Amino acid sequence: MTKFFRRREGVVFLILLAVILAIGAANPSFLKAPSLLSILNTSLVLMLLAMGVTFVILTRGIDVSVGATMGLSAVALGLTLNQGLPLPLAIPFTLLVGFGLGLINGIGVAIVRVPPFIMTLGSLAVYRGTMLLLTGGSWIETIPQSIKTMAGWKFLGVNGVAIFTLAVALVTTLLLRRLRWARNFYAVGDNEDGAYMLGIPVRATQMLAYALAGLFAGIAAVIFVGQIGFVPMQTGAGLELSAIAASVLGGVSLAGGVGSPISGVLGALFLTVINSALVYLKVPAFWNDAVAGTILLVVVLIDFRIRVAVEAQQRKHRASVRQESSVVMPPTMRLKETP
Amino acid sequence: MKAFKFLRSWEAMLVLLFIAEMLFFGSLNRRFLNVENLLYSSSDFTHIMLAALPLTLVIITGGIDISVASMMGLASVILGVSWQAGLDIYLALTLALAIGALAGAFNGLLVANTDVNPMVITLGTLFLFAGLATGIAGSLGAAGYEGISGLPRNFTVLAHGSVGPVPYTLLFVLLLVVVYSVLLHKTRFGRSLYLIGVNKEAARYSGVPVKATIVAAHALTGLGAAMAGGMLTAYFTSARSDLGSDALMPTLTAVVLGGASLLGGSGTIVGTFLAAVILGYLKQGLLALGVTSDVSQVMTGIILVVVVAVKYWASDINQLRLNRRALRLRTLGEGVAQTAQTSKP
Repeated sequence: MTKFFRRREGVVFLILLAVILAIGAANPSFLKAPSLLSILNTSLVLMLLAMGVTFVILTRGIDVSVGATMGLSAVALGLTLNQGLPLPLAIPFTLLVGFGLGLINGIGVAIVRVPPFIMTLGSLAVYRGTMLLLTGGSWIETIPQSIKTMAGWKFLGVNGVAIFTLAVALVTTLLLRRLRWARNFYAVGDNEDGAYMLGIPVRATQMLAYALAGLFAGIAAVIFVGQIGFVPMQTGAGLELSAIAASVLGGVSLAGGVGSPISGVLGALFLTVINSALVYLKVPAFWNDAVAGTILLVVVLIDFRIRVAVEAQQRKHRASVRQESSVVMPPTMRLKETP
Repeated sequence: MKAFKFLRSWEAMLVLLFIAEMLFFGSLNRRFLNVENLLYSSSDFTHIMLAALPLTLVIITGGIDISVASMMGLASVILGVSWQAGLDIYLALTLALAIGALAGAFNGLLVANTDVNPMVITLGTLFLFAGLATGIAGSLGAAGYEGISGLPRNFTVLAHGSVGPVPYTLLFVLLLVVVYSVLLHKTRFGRSLYLIGVNKEAARYSGVPVKATIVAAHALTGLGAAMAGGMLTAYFTSARSDLGSDALMPTLTAVVLGGASLLGGSGTIVGTFLAAVILGYLKQGLLALGVTSDVSQVMTGIILVVVVAVKYWASDINQLRLNRRALRLRTLGEGVAQTAQTSKP
């Protein structure tokens, strides 16, 4: 249990709880089930995007195209539904589109060897441009409402899609811990050359990470379209940076190899809570970004302080151990010298 | 020898690319090559150059600043609000530039004093500055599409006036290219930027004031972004918090296409300038052909990826060639040594 709280996820979880309680103290209606559930529902899209980006960041890459991938997938969903494709076929198709768009990034980074930031910056422009081309810059409306009923389905008062998203987060986190090949993501991100020496398929792992980011963006697209019932032109715009912010806030390190999909979930919840909290605290909504930015900075800086303090303590500890052992050393050395 | 070296440089490639671009668009549409028109339309991307030039300095140190776009909006709002409060418009501009430099220095202080990834820090300040801009504008009732308009003519002339056919803003950018080039290539400050980008520890041990240098580079970037914000304000004749909000990607694209590596240690001011010009006229040219901005966005993305991929491949092949040559020279040297030995009695 103490191990849980020593992890960044644990710290963020505690801060999140404290923030929720503090807002609740200021305005008790915030703590009622409907408002908490609505925050959960609002955060689902960001959660999925952040989870997907987490895979990429784990391998020490970066993906700034997930928002555009989500937008293009949403357009694919809207267009196929309007062509008369039934929902059970349109959803897998959308996921496939997301996966494919992510795979393009993966091929660019792992095979063609374009630096990740530049590759995904390029595909951000390409995907967003293609999205506008396909729709002619207008919204896709008149989507069959079957998708809205799907997203509206509830289990014990909680939206099915919310349960699904949280389940995905838990399952992927567990799989990342348990499955041998899934641990490759951590190995590649922690030490690419070392992973290569161990015989880990580094390039395939990187490619899969980007493809998974695309797949999660596809899922996010399905849920987003289900929630609002149409595809606006700006679907996913700007969310790529929020997704990265969320996963970093939740404890994923941009240096690779540290974090889990749960980080993405916590970070996304955190950002959404902050955004909605201001409404309950009667702060005008235009201060949202300023507060979110400040909190991101504060959490990252606190984390830095803690890390520096822990490292200093460890160094002190090691030094004291060395001193003690040097006192013990001479007799043993004498023993060795006299055969 | 020096001319030969230039011909093999990335900047020479960019010049060729620019000429090819002009010939391509010119052959498809005669009217595109109208010099007066070309000079005039540079106003559409001078704000990219104003931000990208100093951003090159930050990227050379191995850092990155993704908050440039939101600093443009912040500067615009500060400018508008302080003018509305009764300040002289040029005093308001000075204030906005100062706030921009301070915001940049804030980024720099956080980057220099922690080991947190600069992208995370500037992601935080990206939200922070954008939030401050919308917050300030919103509290004063200027959040809408209109923003703060009715700015005096003696200010808007900065973006709309010209010396003959050359806009003031383009002249200003050219002046900045010279100033930043001298700063980067002819001063101790500039050399230390490269050293920090290659090896921060080595820079520290050789007595380079690493922190101060990083803060200065970021402050210059903030100043540049504020200039861009001021320029956009004058260009659109109103101060709005969302001005420049879509400038981040083009700005980064210009710096990267200009030859700077995100790993630090390389990049030039002239390269960034040329890349920004190429990208700017690419958009103009495609528009002149009747291609929509969506397609030009797609093409910009593809060009960025292809150019960088080719550049990396070229440097890989070059490395391979050098390795081969080194190997050949060594075996040759060994052969000589052997004959020398055998020729000994």
